[in-house]
Amino acid sequence: MKLGDVRYLTKEGIKSTWANRLMTLASIGVLVACMVVIGLAVLISENGNKALGHLEKQNIVMAYMKDYSWALDMKTNADTADKTASEQTAASKSGNSSEKGDGAQDGAAAETPDENGIKNSDYVIHSDEEAKKLCKQIRKIDNVKNVEFISSEEGLKNVAEQLGKDESNKKLVMELLKDDNPLPRSAKITMTSMDEFDSTVKAIEELEGISNVRSQGDAAKKILSIKNGVQIAGIWMISILLLISLVIVSNTIRITMYNRKLEISIMKAVGATNSFVRLPFIVEGITIGLISAVISEGLLYFCYRVVTDELENVLGGAVIPFSHMALILLGIFAAIGTVSGVIGSSIMISKYLRKEGSEFAAI
Amino acid sequence: MSENVTDINSVQTNEAPVIEFKGVSKRYTNGTHALEDVNIRINKGEFVFVVGSSGAGKSTFMKLIMREEKANTGTIKVNGFNLTKMRRKQIPMLRRTMGIVFQDFRLIPKMTVFDNVAFAMHVVGAPSRRIRKEVTNALAAVGLGDKARSMPNELSGGEQQRVGIARALVNNPALIIADEPTGNVDPNMSYDIVSMLASINKMGTTVLMVTHDHQLVREFKQRVIMLDSGKIVADNTAGGEEE
Ligand SMILES: Nc1ncnc2c1ncn2[C@@H]1O[C@H](COP(=O)(O)OP(=O)(O)OP(=O)(O)O)[C@@H](O)[C@H]1O
Ligand SMILES: [Mg+2]
Repeated sequence: MKLGDVRYLTKEGIKSTWANRLMTLASIGVLVACMVVIGLAVLISENGNKALGHLEKQNIVMAYMKDYSWALDMKTNADTADKTASEQTAASKSGNSSEKGDGAQDGAAAETPDENGIKNSDYVIHSDEEAKKLCKQIRKIDNVKNVEFISSEEGLKNVAEQLGKDESNKKLVMELLKDDNPLPRSAKITMTSMDEFDSTVKAIEELEGISNVRSQGDAAKKILSIKNGVQIAGIWMISILLLISLVIVSNTIRITMYNRKLEISIMKAVGATNSFVRLPFIVEGITIGLISAVISEGLLYFCYRVVTDELENVLGGAVIPFSHMALILLGIFAAIGTVSGVIGSSIMISKYLRKEGSEFAAI
Repeated sequence: MSENVTDINSVQTNEAPVIEFKGVSKRYTNGTHALEDVNIRINKGEFVFVVGSSGAGKSTFMKLIMREEKANTGTIKVNGFNLTKMRRKQIPMLRRTMGIVFQDFRLIPKMTVFDNVAFAMHVVGAPSRRIRKEVTNALAAVGLGDKARSMPNELSGGEQQRVGIARALVNNPALIIADEPTGNVDPNMSYDIVSMLASINKMGTTVLMVTHDHQLVREFKQRVIMLDSGKIVADNTAGGEEE
C-alpha cells in the first residue's frame, strides 16, 4: 500500500469517526469506564502489594546448621538409600574441617568414628561457639537485619510448643527427645527488604555450615495465597472488561459499516482490495481506543487523588504516587485501546467483507 | 480513454473473447435454478443487450461475470481471468478490468459529482494528479463537465446515471456491464444513456447491458441475448429482437 493511500484512508477513518460521533462518544464512554476500572484495579493491587510487602518484611527465615544432629540425620538417610554414595560423600568431606568441637554431643575423638559412625570431619558446626560465629557471619550479609541463635534445646522447646497446648504432651516430647535431640542448631534471621529475599536466602545457603534455609511458612504462605487470589480475581475482571471493550468497539464499527455500506459496495465493485476497505475502520477503532486511553488517564488521575487523599490520612503516606504509575497506565490503556480497536473492527469487517457488491448494498 | 475507433462489425473473432461461458449452471442455495447450461462468447468491442422476462436469470448472468456469484458447474472466463478457478483475493483485480453501472446509480450523496467519480480511482490507489485529469475527461465524455461541483441530488435521474457511467469509465476498463441502467430513468433520458454507452463502445470498450426496454433494443440494432428460465433462447447477432 502506498503512502498516499494510507494518508487518504486515515483521513477517511477519522472523518468517519467524526460523522459517527454519537456512537463514537457512547463507545468512548464505555471504554473509558472499563479502562478506569482496570486502572483502579492496577493501582489498588500495586498499593496492596506494597502494603503486603511491609507485612512480609516481618517475616523470618530459619537457617539450619550442619552440626552433629545434621550429620547423623544425613548418615541415617544415606545408609538406607545408597551405601556407596554415602561413602563417597564422607570421603570428600574428610579434610574439610579440622576444627575441634567441645560441645556435649560433639565431643567424639578427632578422626575416629563414634558409636554412631560419625567422624568429627563429617560436620561443620561442632559447638555453640562455632554456631554463634556463623550467626555473626550471617549478620554481615547485606539485607540481613537481625540474627538470633537458636540452640538445639530451644528448637526442641519450640517444636514441643507447636505440638499442642497440652502440658503433658509437651513434657512427653521433651522427655523422649532430651537425650537424643534430633534438631540441628539454627538461626532465626530477619531481613530488611523483601525485594531481595531470594538473593539473601541464597547468600545464607552458600555459607559454609548452613544446610538449608526455610521460611517461617504460615504467614508468608497466607499472604501469598491472598495475593494469588486477588491476582486471579483481577485477571478475570480485566478479561471481562476487555471483552466488553471488544464488543463495544466492534459494535460501533458494525454501525459505521452499516452507515457506509454504499461506499463499501462501490469500493468493492471498482476493485478495492479488502485490506484497503478495512483500513479506515481499523483507523476508526484505534482512534476510539486512543481517545479513550487519554481520557481514562486524566480521569484516573483525579479519581486516584481523591482516594489517596483519604487513604493517606489513614495509612500515613504509604500510598504510591500517581506519577510513578502514570506511564505504565497510559501504556496499558493505549494497548487496550489499540487491541480492542484492531480486533473489534476486524471481527465485523471480516464478517461483512465476505459479502460482495450489490449483496452488500442490500444489507 | 483509448482513442482507437473500432467498428463492432469488424472485430476479429479469433481473438480471446472478453466473456466466455461454457456449460454454466447456477443454482442458489435455496434451490432456485437461475441459469442452466449457458454457453456464450462475447468478443472485444461488442455491444450486447441481455433481455428476458423477470426472473429469467439476467442479473444472475451479470453477477457471475462480476464474480459476485460463483457458478456451480461449467467454466467462466472474463478478461483473461478464469472465474471458476480464481481465488477470492483476485476478485479486486478482476473488478479493475471492468466498469459497473448500477440501476440505482449508487452515488454517494455527500460527495460532489467530481468526488464520486474520483472515489473509484482513489480506492484503487491512483495518484491524485492522474485522478484530476481522468475524472475531468470522464465527466466531459458523458457531457457533465459543467456539473463537476454539483451534488448528486441536484441532478436529474438521467444525469445521475451519467455520473455513474463516468465512474464506471474512469479506470479505463475493457468491459462495461450495466444491469438495467435505464431502469430508474424516464424513457427519453434512457435513449441518451444508451447512446452514451454506444459511443463508449465505439471507442473499443465491450458493453454488456441488461434491459427490459424493447424500444431501445429495436433502435440500437446490436447483438441481443435472450434468456428464459435460465436458458439462452435466442442470440441474435444481427440486432433487433424476435418475439
Ligand atoms: N440471491 C438469491 N437467492 C436465491 N434466489 C435468487 C437470488 N437471486 C435471484 N434468485 C432467483 O433466481 C432467479 C433469477 O433471478 P435474476 O435476478 O437473475 O432474474 P432477472 O432476470 O434479473 O429478473 P428481473 O428482470 O426481475 O431483474 C429468480 O427465480 C430469482 O428468484
Ligand atoms: Mg435483474
